[in-house]
Amino acid sequence: MARIELNSITKAWGDVVAVEPTDLTIDDGEFVAILGPSGCGKSTTLFMLAGIYAPTGGEMTFDGHLVNEVEAKDRNVGIVFQSYALYPHMTVRDNIGFPLKFKDMPKDRAAALVEETARLVQVEELLDRRPSQLSGGQQQRVALARALVKTPQLLLLDEPLSNLDATLRLSMRTEIRALQQRTAITTILVTHDQIEATTMADRIICMSKGRVEQIGTPEDLYRRPDSLFVAAFIGAPPINLLPGRAAGGGLTVGQTRLALTGEAAGQTEGDAVLGLRPEHLIFAESGIPGRIDGIEPMGREVLYRIDTPLGELRVLEGSAVPSHGVGAAVHLRFSADDSLVFDAASERRIAEVCAHAPAGHDSMEQRQHA
Amino acid sequence: MVMASALSQTDWDELARRARRRRRISQSALIAFLVATTLPVLLPYFWMVAISFSAKSGGIASTILWQAVSILIPAVIAIALVRSFAASPRTKTWGSLGIAALTCVLIAVLVGPQLHLDNYRFFWVRDIVAELPSRQVSTGVGTQFPSVWSAFGNSLILALSQTVIVSTVSTFAGYYLSRFSFPGRAGFLQSLLVLHAFPAMTLIIPIFLIMYWAGLIDTIFGVLLVIVTLELPFSIFIMKGFFDAVPWDIEMSAMADGASRRQAFFQVVLPQVRVGLIAIAVFSFIKGWEEYVFVRTLLIEKSNWMMSLYLFWVADDIMGVDYGIVAAVGVFYVLPSLFLYLFFQKYLTQLNIGGVKG
Repeated sequence: MARIELNSITKAWGDVVAVEPTDLTIDDGEFVAILGPSGCGKSTTLFMLAGIYAPTGGEMTFDGHLVNEVEAKDRNVGIVFQSYALYPHMTVRDNIGFPLKFKDMPKDRAAALVEETARLVQVEELLDRRPSQLSGGQQQRVALARALVKTPQLLLLDEPLSNLDATLRLSMRTEIRALQQRTAITTILVTHDQIEATTMADRIICMSKGRVEQIGTPEDLYRRPDSLFVAAFIGAPPINLLPGRAAGGGLTVGQTRLALTGEAAGQTEGDAVLGLRPEHLIFAESGIPGRIDGIEPMGREVLYRIDTPLGELRVLEGSAVPSHGVGAAVHLRFSADDSLVFDAASERRIAEVCAHAPAGHDSMEQRQHA
Repeated sequence: MVMASALSQTDWDELARRARRRRRISQSALIAFLVATTLPVLLPYFWMVAISFSAKSGGIASTILWQAVSILIPAVIAIALVRSFAASPRTKTWGSLGIAALTCVLIAVLVGPQLHLDNYRFFWVRDIVAELPSRQVSTGVGTQFPSVWSAFGNSLILALSQTVIVSTVSTFAGYYLSRFSFPGRAGFLQSLLVLHAFPAMTLIIPIFLIMYWAGLIDTIFGVLLVIVTLELPFSIFIMKGFFDAVPWDIEMSAMADGASRRQAFFQVVLPQVRVGLIAIAVFSFIKGWEEYVFVRTLLIEKSNWMMSLYLFWVADDIMGVDYGIVAAVGVFYVLPSLFLYLFFQKYLTQLNIGGVKG
């Protein structure tokens, strides 16, 4: 249970920089997810916190104490690996009890602690089995128990759910979250799965190519992504990104000119990208004209591919049955609050700027004349 | 309808009978082939054991061998037939057991009375050549024949020391090669393979000279150094393969759990390579046990006899006079290797050398 601080922590192997100078603060008892595609440096960051990799530069403190040179075994960090990394030659009991062997602890107290932790993750029936005799979900629980048994000040989870099947993943997600809230252990989850990150974590650190793209609550990352990368990475189905050109308080995408409002609307000039989430586009009587190209029923929702003057748009409709057929002419609207405008060069979002859907009744015929 | 009538005309029983017959024929053919190829391998050993228990000094008694073989081979064939043609598992078991019992009785009655332990007198007679009936045989040894137990002890010391050194060194070296990168690592790995492929016999004169200059001629330690050196490259390579197969995660996990690197190695990594370690140990023991060329070359004074030398000189001095005693020494010599293989074959068969990772 510790407050973790990273001050321009870097990791490089030779000339290859895995993690660029990174600043982070994680509060005591917080559940934080590091989210990013594979190779973005998220696991490297985790292993630096665990003490398995030594940072190339920067400072790392636990509760204000510099731990850069403290060995992994002395950091009191629990870690669950993607592969679970259970010790195959030991029983579940010995696996869970392994961290206690290195503590000054009477045998009977250690045994009691093992039982207690096993009950916490519901593997008390399996204590005398070997890891090879366990299912994936059970192995996962044992790994969790082993990480928790010594009451670590920091719990690190490296893609802990990626080897589980879909239903199990769902229940483990809830369970891990509940466990974390009960134990109040500062926890860092590394994952490439945005659903895992948004459902479990208090805050998300989104990383790409060794750099932190954005730190914020799940809602922040979804509603106000700082960069094109975050906008594209968060949300499923993915956001529509439409290249355009901003000038004189307007944004031209394709042949359509959209009005820009907001504090910085007047100063916005040059290449820009308009981001519209499929779930924020709604069918309307007027607005952006389009023709439906394809329909993908997704169970509770229907995903349309719609050809519009702005480009092809993905549109999500919250209904089990498609309300329109392929080839139908439709109009789309979106709320200006949901629109995201990015600077194309810096790939950063231009804050305080909204795009407005055209209200006019221009139809497909007009577009074809243009 | 045409299909249906064609189906109903098919004689399913006939098809099943044909399949059964085919299976039996192919199985019998397989057994026959295996017997034919195994016999030439097993027969010499059988001959050695039979002779060692039956031969009388001064004569070559092969009648007993043929008697035994003429009982055993029909018995083996009968068991094979019973096993492939008997209907129920019960008949199979009881049939085989019955034939085996009959064979034992036959052997006991026909061959038993001619068996004796006289050829194993080297266990208690110190100088077997001295009391040989035909004293006119000149001993190539030139000195007194030592007791077999001193040769046995020396061989044991050599083999065990080699086992300990090779297992220890190749474990640590294999771990280091597998886990750490250092300049020249790839070259080191390649040279391990080259060293293994290098014919050691071509080095025999230089090695002799080095040992001579180092004053290690006629010492067990000298021989030990040489054979350990020759055995190490391959063992290191095999151990590296085993360590490569142990995931990094396990080791990192142990260290995060509070183990030092050394504790992680001994408590978590080493148990994962147990099979490799046992295989290396067995092979290097057998290598040391059967070592002949360097023993012969480097122990010129015959002060420290090994089992291989003992067998050689027994054969050299007595061959033609007393086959029985040579065979008996041979049986005694082969027993440790045989037991090792029997006890550890489970591990040895798991030994496969992984691909080379740079």
